[in-house]
Amino acid sequence: MNDARALKRGDHSVGAALCIGYVVLLGRTASDLAMSRDESFYVHAAKRYAAWLSKLLTNPMAALEQQSIDFAWSYNWEHPALMKLGFAWSWLAHQQWGLYPLESLAFRFPAMLTAGLLLWLIYAWGASVMDRRGALFAALAFASMPRVFYHAHLACFDIPIAFFFMLTAYAYWRSLADRRWAPLAGVAFGLALATKHNSWMLPGILLVHFAWVRVIQARAGRRERASIAWLPWMLAVGPMILIGTWPWVWNDTWGRLGSYAAFHFRHVHYTYEYLGVSYFKPPFPVSVPFVMTLFTVPLTVLVLGALGLHRQRASFRLPSSTEFGDTTTRRTEVLWLGCMLAPLLAIALPSSPIFGGTKHWLTAYPFLALFSACGLLGIVEMAELQIWPGRRWPSVALLGLCLLPGAVQTAHSHPLGLSHYTPVAGGVPGAADLGMNRQFWGFTTGSVAPWLREALPDGGSVWLCDTTTGAWAMLQADGIIPRDIRAASSMLEADFVLVHHEPHFKEVDYQAWVALGTVQPAYVLRYDGVPIISIYENPKRDRSKRPEDG
Amino acid sequence: MARAGRKCRVAAWVWALVAAVASFELIADVWIRAQVPADQSWEEAAAFVRARIGPNDRIVAAPSWADPIVRFHLGALVTLRSAAPEDSARFDRMWELGIRGESTREDPPVLEQRFGGVRVRMWELAADDVAHDFVDQIAHAKVELVQGDASRPCRWVEAPRGRGGLGQGPMAPDERFVCDPSRPWLWVGPTILADLTLTPRRCIWQHPVGPEPVRSTFFDVPLGDRLVVHGGVDYENERWRAGSPVTLRIWISDRLAGELVHRDGEGWSSLAIETSSLGFDRATVRFEVTTEDPTARVFCWAASTRLTEAADE
Repeated sequence: MNDARALKRGDHSVGAALCIGYVVLLGRTASDLAMSRDESFYVHAAKRYAAWLSKLLTNPMAALEQQSIDFAWSYNWEHPALMKLGFAWSWLAHQQWGLYPLESLAFRFPAMLTAGLLLWLIYAWGASVMDRRGALFAALAFASMPRVFYHAHLACFDIPIAFFFMLTAYAYWRSLADRRWAPLAGVAFGLALATKHNSWMLPGILLVHFAWVRVIQARAGRRERASIAWLPWMLAVGPMILIGTWPWVWNDTWGRLGSYAAFHFRHVHYTYEYLGVSYFKPPFPVSVPFVMTLFTVPLTVLVLGALGLHRQRASFRLPSSTEFGDTTTRRTEVLWLGCMLAPLLAIALPSSPIFGGTKHWLTAYPFLALFSACGLLGIVEMAELQIWPGRRWPSVALLGLCLLPGAVQTAHSHPLGLSHYTPVAGGVPGAADLGMNRQFWGFTTGSVAPWLREALPDGGSVWLCDTTTGAWAMLQADGIIPRDIRAASSMLEADFVLVHHEPHFKEVDYQAWVALGTVQPAYVLRYDGVPIISIYENPKRDRSKRPEDG
Repeated sequence: MARAGRKCRVAAWVWALVAAVASFELIADVWIRAQVPADQSWEEAAAFVRARIGPNDRIVAAPSWADPIVRFHLGALVTLRSAAPEDSARFDRMWELGIRGESTREDPPVLEQRFGGVRVRMWELAADDVAHDFVDQIAHAKVELVQGDASRPCRWVEAPRGRGGLGQGPMAPDERFVCDPSRPWLWVGPTILADLTLTPRRCIWQHPVGPEPVRSTFFDVPLGDRLVVHGGVDYENERWRAGSPVTLRIWISDRLAGELVHRDGEGWSSLAIETSSLGFDRATVRFEVTTEDPTARVFCWAASTRLTEAADE
């Protein structure tokens, strides 16, 4: 790998094309996904924030009163505001100019944009240090991870924090040799802080890397040292952006920031099925993020990542092995390794709250993709030198072949991305045999919308199980579910009852049996033969509304 | 020269290895999807079972995650009793619809037939004859809260039910004994419990109120040879393993015949009481539930009197 190469206009053209292409693809496939549980909360928050923003524009003095701020911003105070502000502005713009074909897209677009920008950034960082084919491979390998593709659609924070996390690391890395990047590192860190708490681990990773580089430089006797200008910028600008973009903490700043931190340090434990056990209290097995990565990231990318790490092994040698006069670099590989491992290790800690979903360590995957590219380039370069000198088409063919499994699996995973498992787990049925989590957030309801529309042509009601009423309202706003099919608050009053299949939801399945007096579902949504949702028909419903009865 | 040749070989091997991994992943993905049984296979298997099933047969799925698919095809033949049995000793035969080579039993079946990717297997079981099912008969029982030397009767009424949802516990039936409207959990009636292993159990909800018992009395019960009792606490509560033990005392004709003490972590517990030596065929049977601390003691029990095959002869 190079220490750093200046990027050309052509590099940014490729990055921009990746960004635009991915955002268009996400936009065109978003209507297949009902809003997830968390999205519906963020949409509700964004609407409240949008109302406050409108007030700020029309009556700023009133908007800035504590009562007004607290009224708008007390909802969903457990997450900082940046992305929700983005959702709010996007929605306001949609209200004004009708920018999007679907209301849900107005909220989802800002996060989709960060997904596109993340591809651009992966390409840019890759192209700075390696053959551009590798950079392109890294961006596409990341884009075609099934779980990444699912999360990239959502009005949530997991893909945005992956972008800002990497942007901070990139700006820091640039600033080591060029102080002009230090303010940008501060800004990027602020945006990361204002996006999600995964950002808290960044200073630790960067300090370890910085110390690593400085010790090497000192032992090698270099007079030029990596600049530490990034640190004061991050310390000064980061909190300013966090607080500046989050009106909730403008009053009682320390108390509310403390509550925010405490919420995440003492987070509730979710119930999550892993290898046949439904975990609901710690300790969660240390293996979770690693096994889930093995089961959900395409195997080819993982193998190439391992080869990449092996290829770069010399760069990981301890600073103590450096001798006077040795050449020094920014040890980019060490920084990438830190950024890849820290998110995985944070979740692996037995004391960490039980989350389970891969989204919690998605920040690691851009760096995994870059190591995969290193591995691929190692093979390609060796082959071009040793096997078929001068011929490039076999390399291009290999690159395409290595991207194909991810692309094929991603296409098949949509719109049930959280239920998808790679062939390493035996696919979706193999994962069911192993007792792996099948879904969460209730978003799979979008996949039964056509069945419900057909079953309730004259309207009716549905008990939604794990889907929120907010997510249902968005399906109605998007025109996917007619407004006369309403959400029922009780199984007993519903025409149809949904049950999302997860082990701890069996309780709900049994409730439906007793409530409706039947164990026979009217429909079972399956994915590769594995039940995702059962729909029960209420025998007491007005059957004259059934389509076959006219 | 030799070193260059070795490098070339290594490069070729690594290249081929990576290409093979990618190819394997593509082929495996296609192969896995191709193994999924077609709807037609399920329908044919269901038709086969439907034509042969008896009134006291049970239908199961293998692996268990395929259960909703089996119920989709054959649910009309599955009663709440067979979907959520207290034990498997009550059925004449068990039909299993299995995929992926999975099975719920290791012993050879008496019948086996394949329909594409779905395998139907049937076992004959040594079933007990049930003389009296207490869950079926709960509406005819007398239910009361014991308070010192007195007792307060609970009325069998149509009462409001829960809405359903995660953490809401077993669904109340529309008709049940209501003991205290101000304590909505204090009712007695049939429902389905998710036990500690999340297995469905059809049983009688009889939430204890404390050291003084909640009592259900059944009159003129045919005793058979054995009284088989099961009990457990709802999964959401028992999984924490922090609740007080629950005691279920069984009285036959005013004599304490048995005691089932359920401790968290034990799951669906059972007790068998020999009744053949009691000297009478019919009796009054009382079930009393107590606990030291009733917090989150969503206790549910099932019981039946049974005749063994030998007794029949």
